[in-house]
Amino acid sequence: MEPVLTRRVGKPNSHAIDGYLEDGGYASVKKIFSESWTPERVADEVKKAGLRGRGGAGFPTGVKWGFIPKDTKGKPVYLLCNADESEPGTFKDRLLMERDPHQLVEGMILSAYAIKCRTAYIYIRGEFYDGARILDRAIEEAYAKGFLGENILGSGYSLDLYVHRGAGAYICGEETGLIESLEGKRGQPRIKPPFPAVSGVFAAPTIVNNVETLCCVPHIINRGAEWFAKIGRNEKNTGPKLYCISGHVNRPGVYEAAMGLQLKDLIFGEAYARGMRGGKAVKAVIPGGASANMLTAAEIEDCPLDFDGVAAKGSMLGSAAIIVMNEDTCIVDAARNLSKFFSHESCGQCTPCREGTPWLYKVLDRIESGEGRMEDIALLERICNQMANGMTICVFADAAIAPPLSSVLKFRDEYRHHVEHRRCLVGPRAGARAELAAV
Amino acid sequence: MSTNPSPPAGSSAAPAPPPPPQKDTFTVLFDGKPVEVPKNMNLIEAARLAGIEIPHFCFHPRLSVVGQCRMCLVEIEGIPKIQAACTTPLKDGLSVKTTTDKVKACRAANMEFLLINHPLDCPICDQAGECTLQDNSFGYGDQLSNYDEAKRQYPTFDRTMIGPHVIADMTRCIQCTRCIRFTHEIAGTGELTFLDRGGRTLVWTHAGQALDNPWSACAADVCPVGALTVREFRFRSRVWYLEKTPSLCPGGNVGCNLSIESKDSVVYRFLPRLNPEVNDYWLCDYGRFMSESLNDRDIHKATVREGTSVSDAIVPLAVERVAREIRATIETTGPSGVFFLGSAHLSNEENFLLRQVADHLACANRDAVVDKVEGGRQCRIKAQKEWVEGDEEAPNHRGAKDMGMSPAAGGYGLDAVLSGKAAPEVIVVADADFSRLANDPQTVAALRKARFLAVAGRNANALTRAADVVLPAASMAEREGTFTNVQGRVQRFQRAFLPKPPIRPVLELVAMLGRMLGYGDGSQTPPGVLEQIATEIPAYSNIRPDELEGGRLLRKGDFIWGGVL
Amino acid sequence: MTHTRYRIEEAGEPKKFPPEAMARIEKILKRYPTKQAALLPVLWVAQETWGWISKEAGEEVARILGLAPSHVDGVLTFYTMYNLRPVGRHLLQICTSISCHLAGAERLIEHCGRRLGIGLEETTKDGKFTMVEVECIAGCDRAPSMMVNDAYHEPVDEKKLDSLIDRLSAEA
Repeated sequence: MEPVLTRRVGKPNSHAIDGYLEDGGYASVKKIFSESWTPERVADEVKKAGLRGRGGAGFPTGVKWGFIPKDTKGKPVYLLCNADESEPGTFKDRLLMERDPHQLVEGMILSAYAIKCRTAYIYIRGEFYDGARILDRAIEEAYAKGFLGENILGSGYSLDLYVHRGAGAYICGEETGLIESLEGKRGQPRIKPPFPAVSGVFAAPTIVNNVETLCCVPHIINRGAEWFAKIGRNEKNTGPKLYCISGHVNRPGVYEAAMGLQLKDLIFGEAYARGMRGGKAVKAVIPGGASANMLTAAEIEDCPLDFDGVAAKGSMLGSAAIIVMNEDTCIVDAARNLSKFFSHESCGQCTPCREGTPWLYKVLDRIESGEGRMEDIALLERICNQMANGMTICVFADAAIAPPLSSVLKFRDEYRHHVEHRRCLVGPRAGARAELAAV
Repeated sequence: MSTNPSPPAGSSAAPAPPPPPQKDTFTVLFDGKPVEVPKNMNLIEAARLAGIEIPHFCFHPRLSVVGQCRMCLVEIEGIPKIQAACTTPLKDGLSVKTTTDKVKACRAANMEFLLINHPLDCPICDQAGECTLQDNSFGYGDQLSNYDEAKRQYPTFDRTMIGPHVIADMTRCIQCTRCIRFTHEIAGTGELTFLDRGGRTLVWTHAGQALDNPWSACAADVCPVGALTVREFRFRSRVWYLEKTPSLCPGGNVGCNLSIESKDSVVYRFLPRLNPEVNDYWLCDYGRFMSESLNDRDIHKATVREGTSVSDAIVPLAVERVAREIRATIETTGPSGVFFLGSAHLSNEENFLLRQVADHLACANRDAVVDKVEGGRQCRIKAQKEWVEGDEEAPNHRGAKDMGMSPAAGGYGLDAVLSGKAAPEVIVVADADFSRLANDPQTVAALRKARFLAVAGRNANALTRAADVVLPAASMAEREGTFTNVQGRVQRFQRAFLPKPPIRPVLELVAMLGRMLGYGDGSQTPPGVLEQIATEIPAYSNIRPDELEGGRLLRKGDFIWGGVL
Repeated sequence: MTHTRYRIEEAGEPKKFPPEAMARIEKILKRYPTKQAALLPVLWVAQETWGWISKEAGEEVARILGLAPSHVDGVLTFYTMYNLRPVGRHLLQICTSISCHLAGAERLIEHCGRRLGIGLEETTKDGKFTMVEVECIAGCDRAPSMMVNDAYHEPVDEKKLDSLIDRLSAEA
């Protein structure tokens, strides 16, 4: 598949508007206004394309846009771009924003028009200093050329777009956590209902879309929903997709392919990550960021990397962040590291997550350092099972339980080894006995 | 001839039926039992209508709903995942299940999460006995702990004053945010906030700021655990030994409903009583901490002064002495020589009976005065729908005036006595603490000009030291009666414990005096006098029971409770 | 367990924004329908002005935006990137999330700590370096990834870290 989203990455000055225009940039904006598309027609095209959210949930974008009430009772509609990319293993939005910012701006103009939005914000994580500067400049250029501001291209449609920087909180990637943060508060997710499309930022109808999702929209408008829908494994998993691969592979990076690329191809393909460093064997793969269930080496067989394909394997595509762990990786250590992440990032509002995430970390830490007991393995499972599925306000807890629960389920013997022998089964610390104060 | 109205000529259709009346309730099923629930009620409150307790911590009907504690999880028919009851919108036909295995498991799980980092402080924690965490743990949790890690602590935020009246022991905190929401949404002062996040989340103030607003102790009230407790009550008593008596605030004319919490004839604290139209769930610090003052007493028996010596007397004989002096003056000078001073601290019944005695003597000279709230103090509180504003430092000035404690035609009042325009020979002061004036030398000197000065009181002051007869009066905790607040609401306060003889309520002393002067038989009781008031004073002719007894007893931290501890 | 953010240090004097910063704040305020929504951006202006956000700076921000100081504290302490005390000229932020962990981030931290003589969250005596660990900064394909102030340095290893520290130490 010819690159679509990353076609301009690698070009010199890819972030500047002149080069972007030369490459056909903003054509879709000129198209919808010169052909007098209604907002509904834009939304319809996106719906027909089968575009699903690329932030993690995979919710059909056109359907989400349709949740905005017909009568907004005088309230403005807001479009928020979720550029808070913080899921461990994910770095595709960073690439898109730093290398081709105008693609995102163009996507936002179309999407904002489709939902009749007048003011849009890009909520970008605080750590992306470069990304924010580059986007600020791109937005300035877009205003200067009349693609943003009052009466865009004489269409009568006006849009203001601003960059809003976060300040270090993974939970602000949750759409209502993002909204709370944008409103100038702690990023604590909200109770749903009401859903953002009905009452979001400033109590107004709000749509939150991921960077990559919005970047797809200009291509859908330019080349048509049919073209987009034909790309991908089936009509439920369409379009080009960016895959992030990291870990013990030869060539970690962002790779674009049609939705449904085989996991094995991504890991071993010549055009992709080119196999395992040092020829080591795969031990486990996390297919969709820290929040996704681990897959064993056997489970990566016939695993199309799309929403339904990974779900059929008992995990999720999520943010398409593939983390590959080789045979020397202590799974308990990996689970411990992931649980530390979740205990740091829990917002602390609700009881099961606030108390459960540190508990998981403490137990995993104890097991990893050689002070675990056999009961701790069942304890981990029990803690996980009583944290999720409605126990909490948001699904952070459901994400937090994925590493411990899936690793205990699939690598139970490794846990047992850690308890019995007080050291790793494999890896650099497998040989030495873990230090203990007293047995 | 038909008397039925016939349809107009030419019409063939019957008139349209009126639309069915829109009901303002939803039918909600709780474990199969249907209940009619007002549309704007929260599901947790609604469950109580069905007699079902949905455990909770963070919910409070006057604070925003946050759904954070996750204790109120229930099953809703038609929704596969467990739902928080407090955030579930009501609708007609909603079916709630609270007794399924899933609900029980979720409650136990949530209790486990709450207890893993909670210190086992019960033996040293004031909240024991009125602690929602204890109750929910006992009701819904597991008995044994499976937690073997280090507990999260906040060592520098324990046993520390967070405000002038509130001690913080933050290690006990369960992060329910009731206190934070109270300071922002009710007090409007916003001192409290969460700091940090995740398992490290801490409730505290902005550095250098104290939890210091006129209702600060209410933050300790709403705290469901012992993280915020009242300093004045620290370690003083276990709460299950305290008796709760419905009463009213003695410090202002808002008439906040409270309960006297007492043991062995000592008042330990006040807690608010719920009255949505007066003080709702709240009490101001000033009124709340007047609880201690109910234990103050210097005057334990009657005394009579002869010349320079003061000797103890038996109450009836002391009262007889007062009656004699009054009779003597009436016979020689007439009723103009007698002056009766009532009080804004005395009940309607007491002021009324005093005025009846004055009328019986045809004495038009009577009065009651009150101190205004001063020094920038806020005497106001947030009722359910609006703020109630008070301006007087005593609870019943309006009642005293309604009962007629003002000069009648041709009579004189206190200002005339103090200015010297009037010179009564006998002055009866029914409450020696009637105002700050009782300690004012000029006032006392003016009153002392009378030949005979009789007072009833509790605390010694310049007035009692100057008086000829001092009678021991019961405190508010030792008697019952009614006060009329700034809204004109007549509210009853009840007796927490009997006064120690020979101390008596002023009502009894006045009744005794009246009997000796030929009015009544001395056996008047507060309910009897109230009935008399109802027949004689038009504004008091129809006091509804829900006005008189509008407040409901609360258990600290709980939002509604009507039982006996 | 981890470093807590309960204490916002005092600068010891009231803080007022210089005119250029106020001009930026005025522009920021125009972007939002409420003053409160400007809080995070205005706190960034404060950090860019003073390098860290003191109790007094927070109070000034609260005053400008009409917010309770406690609300500003709640935001300051929730988000990890606001410095609540002075930090070294070079803030070394080393990622320890899963991909960087697999690439040896912890060894890197040990090495860096030994080289500079400080632990996590600590600053060297000469005020040049502060070292902190951070969660995933989206540099996973160039693990181990780190940031120094606002710039990425990735992939980094012990040698690269040493030459980076040498270079930064030599700066005037």
